Amino acid sequence: MDIAGIAKKFIKGKTFSLLCMLMLIIVFFWYFSPNHSFLSVTNIVIILNSMVLFILFAVAVSMLIISGEVDLSPGFIGTAAGATMAALLEGGTVPWFVAVIICLLMGIGFGLINAVLVNKFRIQSFIATLAVGTFLARGFSFIVSGGRAIPVRDPVISWLGTARIGDVVPVTVLISLAIILVYGTILSKTKFGRGVYLCGGNREAARLAGLNPKKLSYLLFANSGMLGALAGILFVARIRSGNLDGTNAFSFPAVTAVIFGGISFGGGSGKMLGCFLGLLIINAFNNGLTIMRVSPFWQDVASGLLLLLALTLDYISTRRANRASIPKSARRLKQEG
Amino acid sequence: MERTLEFVNISKAFPGVQALNDVSVQVKGGRVSALMGENGAGKSTLLKILSGDYVPDGGCVRINGEEKNFTSPYQSIKASVSVIYQERQLLNAMSVMENVFIDDLHESKFGFLNKSELRRKTQEIIDSFELPVKPSDIVGHLSIAHQQMIEIMKAYRRDSDIIAFDEPTAPLTDREIAVLFRLIGKLKERGKIILYVSHRMAEIFQITDDIVVLKDGQLVTTFETSQTNEAELVKAMVGRDIGDTYAGIRRNDKIGDTLLEVKNLVTEDINNVSFTLRRGEVLGFAGLVGAGRTELMRAVFGADPVISGDILLEGKSVNFKSPKEAIDSGIALCPEDRKTQGLVLSRSIRDNISMPVLPKLSKRLFMDTKAEESLAASAISKFAIKTPTAEKLTLELSGGNQQKVILGRWTSNLMDTKILILDEPTKGIDVGAKAEIYQLIHDFASQGIGVILISSELTEVLNVSDYIIVMRSGRITGRLSRHEATEERVIELSMMD
Repeated sequence: MDIAGIAKKFIKGKTFSLLCMLMLIIVFFWYFSPNHSFLSVTNIVIILNSMVLFILFAVAVSMLIISGEVDLSPGFIGTAAGATMAALLEGGTVPWFVAVIICLLMGIGFGLINAVLVNKFRIQSFIATLAVGTFLARGFSFIVSGGRAIPVRDPVISWLGTARIGDVVPVTVLISLAIILVYGTILSKTKFGRGVYLCGGNREAARLAGLNPKKLSYLLFANSGMLGALAGILFVARIRSGNLDGTNAFSFPAVTAVIFGGISFGGGSGKMLGCFLGLLIINAFNNGLTIMRVSPFWQDVASGLLLLLALTLDYISTRRANRASIPKSARRLKQEG
Repeated sequence: MERTLEFVNISKAFPGVQALNDVSVQVKGGRVSALMGENGAGKSTLLKILSGDYVPDGGCVRINGEEKNFTSPYQSIKASVSVIYQERQLLNAMSVMENVFIDDLHESKFGFLNKSELRRKTQEIIDSFELPVKPSDIVGHLSIAHQQMIEIMKAYRRDSDIIAFDEPTAPLTDREIAVLFRLIGKLKERGKIILYVSHRMAEIFQITDDIVVLKDGQLVTTFETSQTNEAELVKAMVGRDIGDTYAGIRRNDKIGDTLLEVKNLVTEDINNVSFTLRRGEVLGFAGLVGAGRTELMRAVFGADPVISGDILLEGKSVNFKSPKEAIDSGIALCPEDRKTQGLVLSRSIRDNISMPVLPKLSKRLFMDTKAEESLAASAISKFAIKTPTAEKLTLELSGGNQQKVILGRWTSNLMDTKILILDEPTKGIDVGAKAEIYQLIHDFASQGIGVILISSELTEVLNVSDYIIVMRSGRITGRLSRHEATEERVIELSMMD
């Protein structure tokens, strides 16, 4: 394909519309923020910092959505992992890395429960992961913490939550960026990633062509649980306490952000870059409103409107694209059935 | 008064394609009129204009001389038109009676459904269709053939003056086809206007009175069925004389040693089946839909579990537990339903071709994109797949090209395919593309590949195969060489108890 063709395709693509939206938001808030502070280094770091946990959850969820499933449990698994972390470190006898490993394994364990429910018992992933998250993982957090917020004093974990490279960029931001980069590469450049798309696009066709959708599903749910647990650990490291609500509240917004980033619920399509841009837009927008001292109550309404606007525009543009760009043969297919 | 249906100077364009161009057709009541043409000729567009699904850009529809301009399916139904599409439009979770009476559910005086009345009336219709289903059966649990009959019942129940069938027999078995044809005969006697779209020649000559031929959105000609023959019709459809499709095949005549041996195979649907396939052989499986041919091949391929029996590949016992194991041993399956089982429609031609060889296309951690590109490019040129680029989504390809993508997948130079199982490879594909696929089958055979061809189209399986196995109810009921096999013999074997 020639360069003009590639450019044309890019402009029609989802990434381009997300980039346009991001530019609009940046220009708007840069212009209207006091002293143009929206684009100051400090504020950019604040935005990135607010995205850290979102990124982990969104990466976990987008892998599953592309594979044709959904996972609502990572937020709750994060809380359980955080509470476990705090409880393990409380006595001062368990070294930090042992605690981290135990928590990650626990996350994988919850993920595997999801996988068994979905693959063996054929429960829809929406229901299965909601049950595992809201009951199993959340109940588990209460049990390990005994219902109290356990303070975390481990020096390494505290460092992890607060340290900044060059006094500017938080370590957690770097971790989250590294993770989305790695997963984005896996998705677009490896055979595993291709398998995620193929199984998500058509599970039976993938199986009949020699792929193993079941194994893939187990791996992805386990991975999702692990990333959830990792997010829970970072959360605890940041607030230095095994909070009881922990990361619960991230579960649904993570899914929203993923869909916003152009990863469709049907499975088989979407890019990690879109997911990242979606998160950036949502967080930059919220940050901008805060800088402009919009009341937090109105911020929620504004975010909702932004989402609806984006989805409406998306609907209009895909409808137009479908009308204009479906090639002859496809239209024939449609007409002839 | 005799009923008439006229399409007057109908034009309909979609961006980039003129689907119908100034088409005028008149059909009369009491006659069955066939609409024929290759894929893309405009048959379905015409039906969709009749049903109010599409609004024409120009021209109009006249029913009994009265101009009608349908802008919705509702208006069309109210004007006593029923169009039965290939894609069934049923509510799978609802019962047969609710589906059949979907737009006329009987209410009792309190506004509740009058179920006993519904049941009685539905049973009457079921009886005239001679189907073994109950009014309360859930439609989603019925076989595809029965679902198709339910769809037809809907139109029959409305007692429309105009009934259009779009490939109604594709999913049906011969028994249901016989019933359907009897019903069409009755409707005809009652002076109804019947439009009939089908790719099956034999049917067209069996039940239609007139034939309307379309090509590339234009009316080519109309025939009286009794005044024409198959060759003339094909010539009109394709615009050239392709002669006898089958006589043109350059057959492979080198048949080698035994490649696959299936011994006493038993599965949930298969009862003690044995057969052998040799190198370079085209082994046809004939039978009615539901005879167990698809199930047999899925079991051989490792897609469905085997209860007992032995499968020997080149003399070695193999009992595949997954399609992957079968593929690694050189067996390939092109499933019956391209769209739901063959292709990942939301992915490109390239992705669909490289599916089974992804591990071979991995260099260390990453995909070798160059190797993948060249793999796809060679398949596209080898099979003359019509596409500007390998990036094109398979969703956007015609049926024939989709089938070629699947063939390309299994015969790429990274595959070592020894056995190619083709399940209804020409279903829904136009005449020209069919001929290409028959030739490809024999090309594969001449490379020493053993080809298994499942087909419900009798002339196809008889003329393309070297050896024919007939199945019925999960058993083999006959084995015939190409010279012994006649249509009558195969029909007899596939229906005998």
